[in-house]
Amino acid sequence: MSDFLLEINVEELPTGYVRPALDKLKNAFIEKLKLGRIAHGDVSVFGTAVALVCYVKDMQLKQEELSQEISGPPKRIAFDEDGKLTPQGIGFAKNQGVDVKDLKIKSTPKGEYVFIIKKIKAGETKEVLRVLVPEIIKAISFPKTMKWDDSGVRFARPIESILVLLDKENIKVKVGNAPAKVVKGVPAGLYLKKLEKLYTLDQDKRKSEIEKMIMLAQKKLGLDERIDKNLLEETNFLVRSPVLMIGDFDKRFLAVPRDVLVASMSKYQRIFTLSKGGKLINKFIAILDGKGRDIAKMKKVYANILEARLKDSLFFYNEDMKKPLSELAPKLKDLIFQKDLGNMFEKIQRLEQLSLFISEKLNIDPVKKEDIKRAAYLSKADLVTQMVGEFPSLQGAMGMEYSLKSGEKESVAIAIKEQYLPKGLDDNLPETIEGAILAISDRMDNIVGLLGSGVESKGSFDPFGIRRNSQGLIQILNYRALRLDIISVIKEAIGLYKGRLKISQEELEKKVINYIKERLDFLAPDTKPIELKQAVLRSRCDDIVNVFKRVEALSAISSEKYFLKAAKVCERTSNILKGAKAEKIGEVNESLLKEDLEKEVWKAYSANSDKIRGLIKEEKYKEVTRAYGEAFFEALHKFFDNVLVNAEDKALRGNRLAMMQAINRLYTNDVADLAMLPQIVV
Amino acid sequence: MKKLSFQEVVGKLNKFWSARGCLIVEPLDTEVGAGTFHPATFFKSLGKYPWRVAYVQPSRRPCDGRYADNPLRLQHYYQYQVIIKPTVPDIRKIYLDSLKALGINLKAHEVRFVEDDWESPTLGASGLGWEVWLDSLEITQFTYFQQVAGVELDVVPCEITYGLERICMFIQEKFNLFDLEWHNGVTYGDIHKRHEIEYSKYNFEEANIEMYLKMFEYFEKEANRLADKELAYPAYGFVLKASHAFNVLDARGAISQNERPRYIARVRSLAKRCADLYLEG
Repeated sequence: MSDFLLEINVEELPTGYVRPALDKLKNAFIEKLKLGRIAHGDVSVFGTAVALVCYVKDMQLKQEELSQEISGPPKRIAFDEDGKLTPQGIGFAKNQGVDVKDLKIKSTPKGEYVFIIKKIKAGETKEVLRVLVPEIIKAISFPKTMKWDDSGVRFARPIESILVLLDKENIKVKVGNAPAKVVKGVPAGLYLKKLEKLYTLDQDKRKSEIEKMIMLAQKKLGLDERIDKNLLEETNFLVRSPVLMIGDFDKRFLAVPRDVLVASMSKYQRIFTLSKGGKLINKFIAILDGKGRDIAKMKKVYANILEARLKDSLFFYNEDMKKPLSELAPKLKDLIFQKDLGNMFEKIQRLEQLSLFISEKLNIDPVKKEDIKRAAYLSKADLVTQMVGEFPSLQGAMGMEYSLKSGEKESVAIAIKEQYLPKGLDDNLPETIEGAILAISDRMDNIVGLLGSGVESKGSFDPFGIRRNSQGLIQILNYRALRLDIISVIKEAIGLYKGRLKISQEELEKKVINYIKERLDFLAPDTKPIELKQAVLRSRCDDIVNVFKRVEALSAISSEKYFLKAAKVCERTSNILKGAKAEKIGEVNESLLKEDLEKEVWKAYSANSDKIRGLIKEEKYKEVTRAYGEAFFEALHKFFDNVLVNAEDKALRGNRLAMMQAINRLYTNDVADLAMLPQIVV
Repeated sequence: MKKLSFQEVVGKLNKFWSARGCLIVEPLDTEVGAGTFHPATFFKSLGKYPWRVAYVQPSRRPCDGRYADNPLRLQHYYQYQVIIKPTVPDIRKIYLDSLKALGINLKAHEVRFVEDDWESPTLGASGLGWEVWLDSLEITQFTYFQQVAGVELDVVPCEITYGLERICMFIQEKFNLFDLEWHNGVTYGDIHKRHEIEYSKYNFEEANIEMYLKMFEYFEKEANRLADKELAYPAYGFVLKASHAFNVLDARGAISQNERPRYIARVRSLAKRCADLYLEG
């Protein structure tokens, strides 16, 4: 047994690429070693932007032997009646290159067969690695790859060299033209220690070092102890040996709006902002790589670059504030929204209408309604400011800043900022109803417009953000528990495009709902059984909050007997209806009920359906399910055992199918299509 | 050590890259937005023939004018452009050596290669690489070209574009462009400040929109006509003129967001025609 190490040296990878690459490296290693039948201990991966390292403990130096069973002809063909080998039997042994003595007999469900056990020779690990390591390296995928020489190999950035150490032995592997790094006489374990001495190799350790450094410095200076997590992660892959530097800049730049300061520092210069009592101060923290730098000059360079950028920002800020925000809105006529979807001014006009529509649906009071309309009118005006031209990520934040300075109401200003929330899955959600309604309107207008103009998301690719928009919409509705009929909102949003969309109203509605359902499936908690979530989504999804309620309520009772009974009722009625797909099913005609058992079933329906509908309205899903299961399970059971639904008489059959449909829909329309669940056993 | 002047930096870089097999050529005599537009990069990156070249390229970006009021931004500035085709495995080490040759102490200061996927929509060119930061000051754009004029490149050139003013700022420790020493006590501001102020005024306030709109049409027409006659270089010359006309119109606020992508696509398709012609010739 020996320890093993792979080091891929590469030109600086994008910071966001390293962690996913390490995960892929680890998985590929474990998978390939298994395929290669090489036993091993722990697999760990370490990385910086310029090196991906995989360290495997206790690797066996030889493959495991493999015994393979190869079956041949049936015994009655391989042997004659006297138990002697036939030519077919001899032929099998010969073809497999084994002695006839090694033929064995095995009984299988199909009868007795001749078979052999073939041993596959165990190769040397190093020979196997020579083949596996290049495969492993090629298995690391990246969002974007490039080529750099004539080998045709693609990677995120050029590979500089590859080191493969099995104990002390250097194994040469071929990945394009990448040269081997040679290390003489150093075993893998010791080499790893040497790397760790040079710099902090372990990404998690390095990250916590940086975090501690920053926290400590803030503590010492009596500042707020806080850290920008994204910048921390990014910084972690910009440096190998973190060293902290504190710098400062001219106080007058604190006049620049906070969001601009933060973006200038963290995004454009990768330095940490500092604050005291929640207010930014004119200092920053930079994480440098390695000691022995000319700190005095570095501070000066950092500060000067920052000040130059802030000077630009201050210039934009003052220019932008020469006019109130409301005067900028008409300029949106020159700003295209999306190809074929007109300009941004038309968009804000739609947003005014749509947010008004939603406000009415939600019974918002008149004052707030006016504020929402005002916020919708101003919502995109900051897109034509110089500041947002320079820092596109500050859309919304600048709208809020400028609207406050132009004397707009605070609720209007906040709504302008909140319209973009959430920006991602874990982001904050709108805290005001004004912001939430504007955010919903904006998202719905985007989804309807984009899908209506013929663009879609493909696979994991969501270039126009249709999925992101759908996701945000669901999150907001659920977070704020807004009971909104989204089907009516979709219809309204489509109508506001006034025939500009390429896709028909009906088809588009379906598409939008499908996107929303797909995201609901992603966002709703997992259920037990897992199919239950899909079963809920097969029923009505016009009220997002209600969907979440059903998922939760049903998941909690899914192992109860009455639940299983209800599921069985859904399943049996659904199966019968599936068989009658082609038939037109109408209403139940009581005069056509012939058999006692079917009269029983209908009686159960008449006696319980109103109660069940009532419970559905009250969203008492436990009670709904219990009532449904108990009302129909026994009656249906007897009915199915004794009455033929698909009777010869067409009228009779039609009536029975109508009854089955009525029962089925009573639950599946509004609660969940439980027929989708696997193996329903009561 | 005496701090290098602006013209000495250029001299040092010429000497450095010349010693590494580069031809030193002269700037293109047409207004361009970057060194990439020079035919010594645009045309020579295409095809399989090896090519090493370095040159200074005065570059114009009308939108970046600040009336000489910003310490870091100019509408007219200088790039030092290097093309190594095909790229070589130790190209980054060579690049770092070039910084040392300028007297920059890489032990006392920190060089960072920060991800930046470069793209020029008007030239249909793109590549992967980095912004090179020297103590957080962006001094170079370092790119492995993958595509030029929409053509996937089999032989990958490495493009190194130094921002000459930025490097001088660092070397001379002057954080206002206009204070840089060009040479012998004459400053960058002495040479360029008035030029910068007047051109900012021109680009933002005075450029004749009607004339430029017409010119763009003429240049486009002429480029197409010359391409029809298979004259790749003259046709490309008019592509560059069209591109600059577009930039002026853009700075002048004469192009709506609606039209912008369409103008860019027009220039790109012209550039593509020229690239195809060049490869055929």
